[in-house]
Amino acid sequence: MSFKDQIGFVRQHIRRNRLRVFMTVLAATMGTAFLIVLASVGFGLQKTIKDDILSNQMVTQIEVYSEDMTDAKTDAMKEIGHVEAVVHRKQLVPVVMGEVEGHTGSMNTHFTNFGDEQASGFRLADGRFPENQGEAIVGSKFAQQLVDESVETAEDEEPAYYEGELIGKTVNLSFSEAEDGAETMPLTIVGIKEEPGKDWAFDGYLYVDQSLIGPMETAYAAASAGLPEGEDMPFTSSQVNVYADDLANVKAITQTLKNDGYSVYSVSEEIEQIDVFFLALKAGLIFVGTIAILIASIGIFNTMTMAVTERTREIGVMKALGAGPKLIQRLFLMESAWIGLVGTVIAVVISYGVSFAANAILPIVVDAALGGETGDSFDVTFSVIPWQLVLIASAISLSVAMISGWRPARKATKTDVIGALRHEL
Amino acid sequence: MIEVKGLSHSFRVGKKGKETEVPVLKELTLKAQDEEIVSIVGRSGSGKSTLLHILAGFLQPDAGRVLVDGTDLTAMNEAQRAAFRLERFGFVFQNFQLMPGLTAYENIELPLTLKGVPAAERKRKVVELLENTGLTEISGHYPNELSGGQQQRVGIARALITEPPVIFADEPTGSLDSETEQDILNLILSLNRKYGITFVIITHDDEVAAIANRQYRMHDGELTEGGLRHVV
Repeated sequence: MSFKDQIGFVRQHIRRNRLRVFMTVLAATMGTAFLIVLASVGFGLQKTIKDDILSNQMVTQIEVYSEDMTDAKTDAMKEIGHVEAVVHRKQLVPVVMGEVEGHTGSMNTHFTNFGDEQASGFRLADGRFPENQGEAIVGSKFAQQLVDESVETAEDEEPAYYEGELIGKTVNLSFSEAEDGAETMPLTIVGIKEEPGKDWAFDGYLYVDQSLIGPMETAYAAASAGLPEGEDMPFTSSQVNVYADDLANVKAITQTLKNDGYSVYSVSEEIEQIDVFFLALKAGLIFVGTIAILIASIGIFNTMTMAVTERTREIGVMKALGAGPKLIQRLFLMESAWIGLVGTVIAVVISYGVSFAANAILPIVVDAALGGETGDSFDVTFSVIPWQLVLIASAISLSVAMISGWRPARKATKTDVIGALRHEL
Repeated sequence: MIEVKGLSHSFRVGKKGKETEVPVLKELTLKAQDEEIVSIVGRSGSGKSTLLHILAGFLQPDAGRVLVDGTDLTAMNEAQRAAFRLERFGFVFQNFQLMPGLTAYENIELPLTLKGVPAAERKRKVVELLENTGLTEISGHYPNELSGGQQQRVGIARALITEPPVIFADEPTGSLDSETEQDILNLILSLNRKYGITFVIITHDDEVAAIANRQYRMHDGELTEGGLRHVV
């Protein structure tokens, strides 16, 4: 019997029992849709959390910690394969005060190599990078570090921040421990760093070339002379970031750095942990969803068993005429597979609809439930249906449908011809 | 040619563990030459239907052999016997055994569909046979829309469609009135003459058995040959 004729035969039987087959398809659809939608919540939450992490961090950045970081070590890191740049920033540890046109504030000062910074993606919103000794770049919120202390403001008012142009201005640095009248170190602001990607980040830093460490250390020594000796505090603390050329290479570089004895943190590590957690969560959700499909499979089993019982005489006639056991079995398996297939296709379409509706409506509902306090940053994806989920759910649904139809199909092949020909309904 | 040698069969009856064997067929020998009509006549319970089921390959005997043109049917497994039936045998049943969901046309077409004959060739053969058997007008009707005689004609056409050398008929007129019975018997005779098909007819009716060239009588599982004669 040709495959086309087999399909025609199956379709004919389905047409004769439309209502019963429809109800079984409905059960299969509900089971499969439940599985997909349930698991899609796991995928959705995973996406939300990953997106949140990736939007707040540079994905190719690897933070490296070491108690005795040296330039030689950072130079060695540049030789690791797929490393785009290594930025070795040294933050000034002693408190240093800055003054611009009567506005003063403490300066978070970073010594760095601007060539490496540019290679890592350091961009300016305005101005240029330092070219001469005594030039500096400031963060996007640097002006909010500078306050005019002579202006009195009420408690609920903002302090008198510096509001003028920064580029071209001189910031005079002085160490807070210094006596009045001590020498200051003037720096000219030549550029303003681009705002950080994360809204909440506050970049009020002062970036200067690492060649200024020496002069500043000398100035600090001079300014603090005669003061009681403080704690054994280093002049700078190191912060090293290694940048990979691609996200795919972050893991390998991270591993190399770990092998070299560094303490390392990269977003890929965090994402990996999240992935492991969500893999377990999704597996659990798929397992629960599969139970729904198994319940639906009872319907398929029931329908197919009834179909075999009802068609006992027909099976007997077909066997008498010369239909082999394999053909009989195949016809019934095709029928149960058809139920599973149609149920799966409808379920996939419905699941995408439910997923779309959930993502559109649930944030509004949650926002309303919380009295509109979630704010603009409330951006949660409740449900995501990747093609892999569709594939897994389809495979489970079709397999369960085939397994449900297997026993009735086997029963059909074992139908006794003589008994079947005597069978009357 | 069909040859049956030393065929015996028993049924096991009773509860499991306390079964008793009831012999149904006892050392039977039977021969049906090509183009013959062979009748096996006997009363209910004589074992004639069991004999037909074994000859058709529906049932495996306890002992003996069934040779069809030298091929031993009893040595085959179920799938092989099914394939053999499809190729070599046609069947006419007392209760017609038409598929209720198929039209007369589709019922006649069914054996060709099972054989995997292409649709165009199937159509040509079925249309030709419908014309030859005078069934064209009722070809679109479902079995429940046909009279007993019409259903049996469709059943015979279904048996003929694959042009088998042997057709087994189990009480072919058992459900028909006497007038229709004569029509069907005449059809069997004409098909036998026209196509040279061997008919093996199981019946309890001596009048039906009388159309056969070779007659057997079945009594308590034993078969006796009633003689050869030429039917005019």
